[in-house]
Amino acid sequence: MENYQFVVIGGGISGVTCVESIATFDSTARILLLTGTPLIKAITNYVKVSKFLEEFDIEEKPFSYLAEQYSNLVIKNQVVERLDTDKQIIVCSDNTQIHYDKLCICTGARPKLLSNTNPYVLGIRDTETVESFQKKLLTAKQIVIVGNGGIATELVYEVEHCSVIWAIKDEHISTTFFDEAAARFFLDRIQIVKEKQKLNEKRRKYEVTNQPTNVEISSSNICGGALGPDWAANRSMKGASSESRQVHIEYEVEVKNILTPEQYQQRQHPIENLPVSQEEQQWPVYVELTNGKMFGCDFIVSAIGVTPNVEMFLKSANFTLGIDGGLLVDETMRTSIKNIFACGDVCTAGWTLAEHWFQMRLWSQARQMGHYAGKCMLAYAHNEQDSLTMDFCFELFAHTTKFFNMKVVLLGNYHENDMKKYENLIRMTPGEEYIRVTLKDGRVHGCVFIGDTELEETFENLILNQIDVSAFGETLLDPNIDIADYFD
Amino acid sequence: MPRTYEEELKYIERINGHCWRIKKGFVPNMNVEGIFYVNNHLEKLMFEELENSTKFGGIGGFLPGMKQIANVAALPGIVGRSVGLPDVHSGYGFAIGNMAAFDYNDPKAIVSPGGVGFDINCGVRLLRTNLTEKDVQPMKEQLAQAMFDHIPVGVGSKGVIPMNAKDLEEALEMGMDWSLREGYSWAEDKEHCEEYGRMLQADPTKVSQRAKKRGLPQLGTLGAGNHYAEIQVVDEIYDRFAAGKMGIDFKGQVCVMIHCGSRGLGHQVATDALVAMEKAMKRDQIQTNDRQLACALIQSPEGQDYLKGMYAAANYAWVNRSSMTFLARQAFARCFNSAPDDLDMHLIYDVSHNIAKVEEHVMSDGKQKTLLVHRKGATRAFPPHHPLIPVDYQITGQPVLIGGTMGTCSYVLTGTEQGMKETFGSTCHGAGRALSRAKSRRNLNWYEVLDELKEKGIAIRVASPKLVQEEAPDSYKNVTDVVETCHAAGISKLAVKLRPIAVIKG
Repeated sequence: MENYQFVVIGGGISGVTCVESIATFDSTARILLLTGTPLIKAITNYVKVSKFLEEFDIEEKPFSYLAEQYSNLVIKNQVVERLDTDKQIIVCSDNTQIHYDKLCICTGARPKLLSNTNPYVLGIRDTETVESFQKKLLTAKQIVIVGNGGIATELVYEVEHCSVIWAIKDEHISTTFFDEAAARFFLDRIQIVKEKQKLNEKRRKYEVTNQPTNVEISSSNICGGALGPDWAANRSMKGASSESRQVHIEYEVEVKNILTPEQYQQRQHPIENLPVSQEEQQWPVYVELTNGKMFGCDFIVSAIGVTPNVEMFLKSANFTLGIDGGLLVDETMRTSIKNIFACGDVCTAGWTLAEHWFQMRLWSQARQMGHYAGKCMLAYAHNEQDSLTMDFCFELFAHTTKFFNMKVVLLGNYHENDMKKYENLIRMTPGEEYIRVTLKDGRVHGCVFIGDTELEETFENLILNQIDVSAFGETLLDPNIDIADYFD
Repeated sequence: MPRTYEEELKYIERINGHCWRIKKGFVPNMNVEGIFYVNNHLEKLMFEELENSTKFGGIGGFLPGMKQIANVAALPGIVGRSVGLPDVHSGYGFAIGNMAAFDYNDPKAIVSPGGVGFDINCGVRLLRTNLTEKDVQPMKEQLAQAMFDHIPVGVGSKGVIPMNAKDLEEALEMGMDWSLREGYSWAEDKEHCEEYGRMLQADPTKVSQRAKKRGLPQLGTLGAGNHYAEIQVVDEIYDRFAAGKMGIDFKGQVCVMIHCGSRGLGHQVATDALVAMEKAMKRDQIQTNDRQLACALIQSPEGQDYLKGMYAAANYAWVNRSSMTFLARQAFARCFNSAPDDLDMHLIYDVSHNIAKVEEHVMSDGKQKTLLVHRKGATRAFPPHHPLIPVDYQITGQPVLIGGTMGTCSYVLTGTEQGMKETFGSTCHGAGRALSRAKSRRNLNWYEVLDELKEKGIAIRVASPKLVQEEAPDSYKNVTDVVETCHAAGISKLAVKLRPIAVIKG
């Protein structure tokens, strides 16, 4: 039976970063990475902008380039069947047994699906499901997107030449990120034709290695690592409609029923005919919403969130779970089972959270957790756990992304749910920028920046410094004052 | 009773064509006078800013530059004058572009973090190359991309140079000596940096855990906002001899300018000090005109702790700039398939414009004194033959690097004797914006949403939107006006003008 000091299960971003972290800080560590699907890698030279660059600058560096440097890092394509946590043994689907000193679970989360069996309901999580989506989209004229988070929001913008019906359960779009006013700011942009990406943008791009997997994956329950930022950017998301853009939003609805054409016929319920369709369309699937409306479409995208992949581990041992169903971890990323850590989407942060930080199943957080978990595992292995302190990234929630081709930066306690607890200072320039700063006792606690505001760093510092800005009142956001310079 | 504009003007007196004095009494408790340097355009902006504040009750909590200069003149232990350089504009505590020197040996003299800034040792360095604009034009995008790839930018970005807690401690103590030891710096780089890239009195134990935690992931990152790296070309050479000493020989010569500081670590060191000093002010019975001017006696524990921590933060910034120099050299080497050495990518100089230093100066009465010179948004500009500047610049004087705002042109100046006398060897640092009043515009339709939110019990205040370019007021103190004023005033001399051809920013 093989023995490893450190074993990581899961080849997504948190697992790979965890391994990278251990290998960087201890080059003698014997590490094993078990992944049932192809490994995530980082493309370090961002391919973008001009034809010139594409020709010259493609250089992919798989994360495993570190593995190549460290002979003590082993990567295996294996599916884990169960754990014997007392003996600290991993049993794989091909009956291989592996003993671990310290184990980290990085199995991520999978999309919640409206239906597990309906072939017309798609979830989007990894490259395989994205490619499946792209293929189906090619012949689609109308789709229904259910969900109101990041993936749904990005998809609505990225899909072209296909009519989109966006069914959300909230009062306004993108509640995960935006308050009502910000949502309103974006609504104007939904109908515009997709713009060209701006030049010279610095964004790290992630892809999947083309490593051949010579392992038979017995169950199809395993999905690959989650897509990284800008996953949609370089992918063609074109449907079969002649009209380049049509988005229709249904608010405060959930899906009541999904019907086959036969079932629909039996109901004899009129469907919503959106202006685009000229004749009576025969759709392969029909969606009935809780507001009584019925839409026909080519397929349905289920983007209603993810659920942590914990089932197999629960069968093996009595892991404590967090309220959202993830493996509960303490401030050193330990689960409730001895010598087992967890990070990324599979875990739930169980420590006392810093005032301005909270968990969101984001790529960036998975990466941060992976890095920190690696350090923790090493510290425990060397009995140095007392010197561990949480990385600074867990002090302040920070997320940079793009929606509708506009830069969005979210800091600290920005969420709509917090707006009642704080004073909110808003600056909005139509079509250009939206800024909301949340204040309490004259100190900044959260921010939403949409557009090229150039203010992110200044306000990040204001939140971390907790400087009293009450003297400035609204002029804190006066566009004629160079506030970034003032606090430099 | 607040004064009228006319009453205020009685305290402001013209000295000559580019210099005004602020007389005692302009604000209470002034120990010395203030002065500020302007040309015609900048003069207009200074006075408009003052007028606005008297007529309209100011702009929020922001004080006009003249008032800030005067409040600094009211600090205990200040000597000479509180100086406003031509780019002076509103800042936290001290205005940005304000120099103030204090008698180090006066037991009542103070040190103030507001006089250094949050971004401790924010500064600029300039690298030369032997490339011409023609060499670089066809490769421009590729080069910019390579720089982008090598230098992490933006909020939350992580450095690519691996560093653990122990490395950070050493970097805080050793500054550029750490970079040299680790192989990120060339030996000659040290010579061409203020303080040789290391403040010897730095003490990492005076830097809080939180500051170190903020600093650890940020080493070698550019941050965002007004920090940037630029690929520039020489646009004009005003002083051929001085430029030659810097290795700048021809128009179209390609250079790289890096503008950044100590990021979160500096911010935390400053914040920690402000909190500690506010507490100590009562004990030591220090009073100031502005709460933001929190300060401590130089010789007090708080004062000394701040200085030692500030020096450590300064070291961090130099390590940061050295790391970026390393990354920039790598980027160029990759693009041109040539060693950085062969590209003559030497460091011309590195200047700090947010720092306080202990220096020897000769006062107007001929006596030599040890001074603690605060330069916030101001650059040291030592004259020819000064012992602290490198051998190659002994005849020409210290190079002064002035970065305009990102995307506009930059300048290299040299220090002068006159500057040494008038401003304790200090000059401007860049550009700035005066406070201005602009009409607010409201988009009525959109504001319905906000009214709805207010009805739901959510507290909302609204700031004015950005104005369209044509509507925007002219309150900008551009770098060209600023350096020409310094040159005309004789406090530093124009040497080279550079223009950017590519910008790397967060």
